[in-house]
Amino acid sequence: MTKITRRTFTTYAGAAAAALAMPAIGRAQAPKARVVVIGGGFGGATAAKYVRQIDRQIDVTLVEPSASFTTCPFSNYVLAGFKTMADITHSYATLTASHGVKHVQTSAQAIDAAQKSVRLANGETLRYDKLIVSPGIDLRWGAIKGYDEAAAEKIPHAWRAGPQTTLLRQQLEAMPDGGTVVMAAPANPFRCPPGPYERASMIAYYLKANKPRSKILILDAKDAFSKQGLFQDGWKALYGDMITWVPLKDDGKVVEIDVNAKEVTTEFGKKHKGDVINLIPPQWAGAIARASGLANEAGWCPVNQTTFESTLHRDVHVVGDASIAGAMPKSGFAANSQGKVAAMAVVNAVNNRPMAAPTYVNTCYSLVSREYGISVADVYRVTDQGIVAVQGAGGVSPREAPPAFRFQESVYAEGWYASMTQEIWGS
Amino acid sequence: MKCLRPAALAAVVLAAVALPAAAQNANPQLLAFTCQGCHGTAGKSPGSIPALQGKTAEQILALLKDFRDGGRAATVMGRIAKGYTDAEIEAIAKEVASWK
Repeated sequence: MTKITRRTFTTYAGAAAAALAMPAIGRAQAPKARVVVIGGGFGGATAAKYVRQIDRQIDVTLVEPSASFTTCPFSNYVLAGFKTMADITHSYATLTASHGVKHVQTSAQAIDAAQKSVRLANGETLRYDKLIVSPGIDLRWGAIKGYDEAAAEKIPHAWRAGPQTTLLRQQLEAMPDGGTVVMAAPANPFRCPPGPYERASMIAYYLKANKPRSKILILDAKDAFSKQGLFQDGWKALYGDMITWVPLKDDGKVVEIDVNAKEVTTEFGKKHKGDVINLIPPQWAGAIARASGLANEAGWCPVNQTTFESTLHRDVHVVGDASIAGAMPKSGFAANSQGKVAAMAVVNAVNNRPMAAPTYVNTCYSLVSREYGISVADVYRVTDQGIVAVQGAGGVSPREAPPAFRFQESVYAEGWYASMTQEIWGS
Repeated sequence: MKCLRPAALAAVVLAAVALPAAAQNANPQLLAFTCQGCHGTAGKSPGSIPALQGKTAEQILALLKDFRDGGRAATVMGRIAKGYTDAEIEAIAKEVASWK
């Protein structure tokens, strides 16, 4: 991954490509509208690309402080040891060069919904006709006593991919055989419902091959989890008794951590020491959404379920984990699906066209081992009950399935990632 | 334009809300966008998911119906195809076949 003057390069490349891409007549015309997108992840990058794809005469500026995006999906495979950080990192070069999205490499500090402007950390102010905000999640510091931003430098959550992923991997590598990995999983709603359990699987995959006497303890703030039957079947078949899951009702909820002693305390006062602790705390919408009046009291963003326009501020759409999307889970795939719908809604609004009833899809693959995949899929519609999963469709992989089926799903998991990252970031 | 009396207007609004989403004009382009999430940009899958590029509308229609009706073995496509109506499947098939 190159690091040289990417901002300069993408600015000039984007401008050059945009100039080349516009028709001769169009070059002299002002754009129909200016769309600003905050956040270059699954939701934001998708929305930015699709606005340009549906209507080339709309200007799109992406506000994203990073030069590239490191995906949470597949970061568990870095922990397992069969993917690298480079494998899960994607540049914005195609978005800018091929789709003419302008990338401003800074962060958004404040949204003025009345003035329709965004103040940036680099001092600039961007005006918008339509704004799409896809800020992901922030961890709720202090929700677990003793777990603040400084604590995360010692006890990783790795629930935003990047240096946290690397830190957790390093800690696993340093752990001696026979050690205990303690994971704390949060209550709903949180980013990526199957994520903690895929992580436990991938840590087990690594430990079984390298440190087979080690154990994994999952302390859960809830009594059930996504694809539970499938995960537990897989754990038993592949890892024996390496993984122990403690639900809420058996005192699974972690309420406090002593970072230096590497010890967590659960609701009824039980203490657990870990050689490695992965603490996944409660979450809420990314800071820019909460600071700009887009979030409710619980810290998530209410939106129109057909257009993902905020119900709190006009002409601002919120997609991805930060949004409240009915039955849809907080996943990268869901953010991609919502980003496409929001892009269409924005383009329709700019062109004074009505918005058709959308459908949404989520498909989430999880690896229980490198060769053993499981999935959940659903198609969603908007009803007067909000976004609901279509009855008689969707669901999880079959409980009873031969090894060949599990292997095929593990192959498709890789295929999904290759397709989705290529269709969003072009790499 | 003739103004509707409040009761009549309310009835029209309620009727619009009560209609199932599929009955309203679905946007074929928007419907098929979702497919690219797994099958890749314009259906040109870079990895193990089968490509859609180069398939005719008839082929895609037949595949989706087979997946939906359980005639074709699948890992995930049966679950997904069951989420769409006949009209939507036809619209998706035409749209996907038009991808370049």
